[in-house]
Amino acid sequence: MNASVRLSVSSLRAHKRRFAGTFLAVFLGVAFLAGTLVMGDTLRAGFDTMFGNATSGTDAVVRSADAITTPGESEGVRQPVATDLVNAVEQVPGVAAAAPNIQGAGQLVGANGKPIGGQGPPTLAGNWIADEKLNSYRLAEGRAPERSGEVVVNRGTAEKGDLRIGDTTTLRTPDPVKVTIVGLATFGGEDGMAQVTFTGMTRADAEKYLTARPGEAASIQVRAGPGVSQQELVDRLTPVLPEGVEAITGQESAEENTDMISSQFLTLFTTFLLVFSGVALLVATFSIHNTFAIVVAQRAGENALLRALGASRRQVTAATLVEASVVAVFASAAGLAGGIGVAAGLQALFPAIGFPFPEGDLVISGVSMALPLAVGIVVCLGSALLPAVRAGRTAPLAALRETALDTTGASRVRAVTGMGLAALAVAVTLTGVLVSPSLWLAGTGAVLALASFVVLGPVASTTAVRVLGGPLDRLRGVTGGLARRNALRSPRRTAATASALMIGVAVVSLFTVFGASLKATMDQTVSRSFAGDVAVSTPSFGAGGSGLSPQLAGAVQELPEVDTAVGLGRGVAEVDGKGRALTVTDPLALERTFDLGTVDGSLRDLGTDGIAITENEADKQGLTTGDTTRLTFTDGTTRTFTVRAVYGQSELAGEYVITRAAWAPHRTQDTDTLVAVSFKDGVSTDTGKAAVEKVAERYGNPEVQTRDEYAQSSAGGIDMMLTLVYALLALAVLIALLGIANTLTLAIHERTRELGLLRAVGQTRSQLRAMVRWESVLVAAFGTVGGLALGAFLGWVLVKASDGASDSSFAFAMPPLQLAVVALVGLAAGALAGLRPARRAARLDVLRAIATE
Amino acid sequence: MTTTTTATGTLPAARVVDAVKVYGSGDTAVRALDGVSVDFPVGRFTAIMGPSGSGKSTLMHCAAGLDTLTSGAAHIGDTELGSLDDRRLTLLRRDRVGFVFQAFNLVPTLTVAENIRLPLDLAGTKGDQEWIDSLIDVVGLRDRLHHRPSELSGGQQQRVAVARAFAGRPDVVFADEPTGNLDSRSGGEVLGLLGRAVRRTARTVVMVTHDPVAAAHADEVVFLADGRLVDRMESPTADKVLDRMKALEVPS
Repeated sequence: MNASVRLSVSSLRAHKRRFAGTFLAVFLGVAFLAGTLVMGDTLRAGFDTMFGNATSGTDAVVRSADAITTPGESEGVRQPVATDLVNAVEQVPGVAAAAPNIQGAGQLVGANGKPIGGQGPPTLAGNWIADEKLNSYRLAEGRAPERSGEVVVNRGTAEKGDLRIGDTTTLRTPDPVKVTIVGLATFGGEDGMAQVTFTGMTRADAEKYLTARPGEAASIQVRAGPGVSQQELVDRLTPVLPEGVEAITGQESAEENTDMISSQFLTLFTTFLLVFSGVALLVATFSIHNTFAIVVAQRAGENALLRALGASRRQVTAATLVEASVVAVFASAAGLAGGIGVAAGLQALFPAIGFPFPEGDLVISGVSMALPLAVGIVVCLGSALLPAVRAGRTAPLAALRETALDTTGASRVRAVTGMGLAALAVAVTLTGVLVSPSLWLAGTGAVLALASFVVLGPVASTTAVRVLGGPLDRLRGVTGGLARRNALRSPRRTAATASALMIGVAVVSLFTVFGASLKATMDQTVSRSFAGDVAVSTPSFGAGGSGLSPQLAGAVQELPEVDTAVGLGRGVAEVDGKGRALTVTDPLALERTFDLGTVDGSLRDLGTDGIAITENEADKQGLTTGDTTRLTFTDGTTRTFTVRAVYGQSELAGEYVITRAAWAPHRTQDTDTLVAVSFKDGVSTDTGKAAVEKVAERYGNPEVQTRDEYAQSSAGGIDMMLTLVYALLALAVLIALLGIANTLTLAIHERTRELGLLRAVGQTRSQLRAMVRWESVLVAAFGTVGGLALGAFLGWVLVKASDGASDSSFAFAMPPLQLAVVALVGLAAGALAGLRPARRAARLDVLRAIATE
Repeated sequence: MTTTTTATGTLPAARVVDAVKVYGSGDTAVRALDGVSVDFPVGRFTAIMGPSGSGKSTLMHCAAGLDTLTSGAAHIGDTELGSLDDRRLTLLRRDRVGFVFQAFNLVPTLTVAENIRLPLDLAGTKGDQEWIDSLIDVVGLRDRLHHRPSELSGGQQQRVAVARAFAGRPDVVFADEPTGNLDSRSGGEVLGLLGRAVRRTARTVVMVTHDPVAAAHADEVVFLADGRLVDRMESPTADKVLDRMKALEVPS
């Protein structure tokens, strides 16, 4: 065996413990990364199989060719096709069967009176296709709907709503429809298509409730006769289709569906998780680097002896690197196994929390194994590289001196470089935020800021620990004083240890600040532009739910308590070649319940060819009142609209407003997303709200909220997101914790004799434990404070840059309570990290400690 | 404060009775102490001498409560050490015993003044400031009070250690080869300090050494060989001690 390798192996064997922390850090990071990748692959494969199974009987899909996609949506809106087309399609040779597929939004009300789903995934309703092979749902129990009011629902939805065959409930389409469940269905062998709810009705009911006009369907499903391939079928169908209607193969359709789910959900989900494994690995880098740096410093005497005996620099460096490689390979390999375990665990966990994970074996691809393995090894070796080079540089003479501990402070070069970086970071960031708003510039500034914090760490640590530890001397006497001075001993080490925690805390604070700012923004938006008293709305988080009945606004308007009730619907059209969301409403009433800012022109006479737009959009397109613009609708028609009003504020009212009359010829399923109500003078909010609630009950019982409640519920999704973020960041904090514990353990090993002396002259075990714990808390406090400062700064940058780069304005808010909690958690983490090292230190045998040479 | 030696009949500052210490077990067992009984009277400076492996360090460690006896008893004043748990032993060391070691005597992060006060600070007591002031003068380090140990010479460091050992007015100070790492001049200063402390302030010092010159500073020398007490010598001189040691090292 090579000498370097032999040295590393014997060193590893002798000091297993000191690498336990490194091993765990790499293990956790790699496991998280591998778990994410495996789960992503498995989910994707699962959805593939599910859609494949569900649509295996459909050989071609006929639908409108053009879709209008508005920003922020993955699925475009298509004009329906005429159901008559089925007859023409059936005549085409090679077609075995064809059926219209009518689809719209329909939300079932559960046995407890609450709507099912609608918190994200779509709630769908459609016609129950009689041809078993064309229907993507299979009847599992009961029978198909035959009479009006009979429905089949997917089994998952029924279970969630506690509904059984024979039960009668309400389907919001959004007008409430009384339905009786006669059958339960499965999708591709599962109880549902993920969490999408589906209600299948008779074709007549579907046409009546789900489409704007009878005789329209979202698409036509076609099955080929024997011996006709999917492509042949499409080729034969194409000539008979009218202009603007296309045919695609069943396989393409299934792939589109999978892609849609992927882009809407999976990609977001996996990207999110990958970002967090990145954070975890970055934190791990610091912990690993620190461990190796300390080990090399402690071994200076040994390495010097080797050099004196004739070992080359390269051999000494190699010995350290081999050591790192062994740890890297073992920890990464264990991490892969851990990752597969994580994925398997999640697969088992998801159904338990009501998320039907498509069944199937875990998909373990080469990439999802090779990538985490490579990342783990690179991170570990990269972190050990610098200490290894330093080990090689050990002077042979150092063997003769007493082991010099790494007490080097911050060099001037470091201070200057750090300050330079910090200045550059601030300059770039401020330019990106204030001068020429750009997320890219701001992002670069953020990375620079992080780098400057890491570089400046050792410079700042001395002062910071002195200040933070100031009260310790007074509060905890000599124990506290010793703890503080121990933390001050090696500024570089303290800084590196704290950096790991700093990054974790910075990311947590960043999200906390950003979340609070988003909430404040929502709050401000509502309080600024919503002039009504109560709002009736559907959950604002996600795309689900069935919206509100367009009749609701009218019915509420009839109430004696109500001054104005206005419903806001949503339409889409291409304006200037780009898909845009339109607000479809009564512009006059809109003006009375929303503060639109300064209005140039009048909303009074929009009519069927008038449009109102925000100042922002007007400026962008160079439009003023009196100009004309062309709108292309999903049905392919293009109409010229005259700009009759330009208004200042857009937030709740949207960027483009047209009347219901203008929208009517192009509409699909009619729904309102929001009904805003203002009361007559002298009507109290409570009385008014109660009256509105009574009316709302007749329309599927949507929630009626006061202004404050409306503002709060608008921000509800943010809390959910933050909870998830915190859960994921716990991993990064855990790794940082391991780093602190590991550094302390190594430091205690270095100070064995000193601790022995302290014990000999009368330091009790509990005093010794307290000393180590306080040192840990101090290091953690330094990291936490740095992280809070960095995170708050980056949060401010993100908010301001978003504000500058996007049309909507963002408010900045610092949540003092949440940040205080973050700080406390950081300190508690420090105390926790110190527990084990403190216990170990206290177990020290006094006599052996003093005798150690 | 008396300058006379204590009359016979009063309790010694420290003593061991039939002290046996066995390291290891079975074939590898080593009897470091093999039935030693010795008193360290109050107000006396006693040196323990013996060749390497004679058990002199073990005797000191056991008498000072740093180590426990396999059998027999060790007392500090009227306190039997064997009956104390770790916490009580620690408090006893803190309040009633002082230590001077061969090397690594000071906490590197604390200043000279803080090192001297360390046992008092650990106990959370103020101590006797006048006493400490006089100690600082005796060891001659008033101008170095705010220095760190790394800024002092070896002899100065050892003098700080002596001051610390006496800071809490302990019943007895144990010194383990306190001059082992020093040149003869610095060593002489440290030994002079220990001797003066005993004579002027009626303190008790027990010192382990292998250096006859150092032992000559003591009032009495006890000789150990193979874990047994073999001789005692009042009013030693370096020559007498050297002769006795030579006799011990040549097996008769």
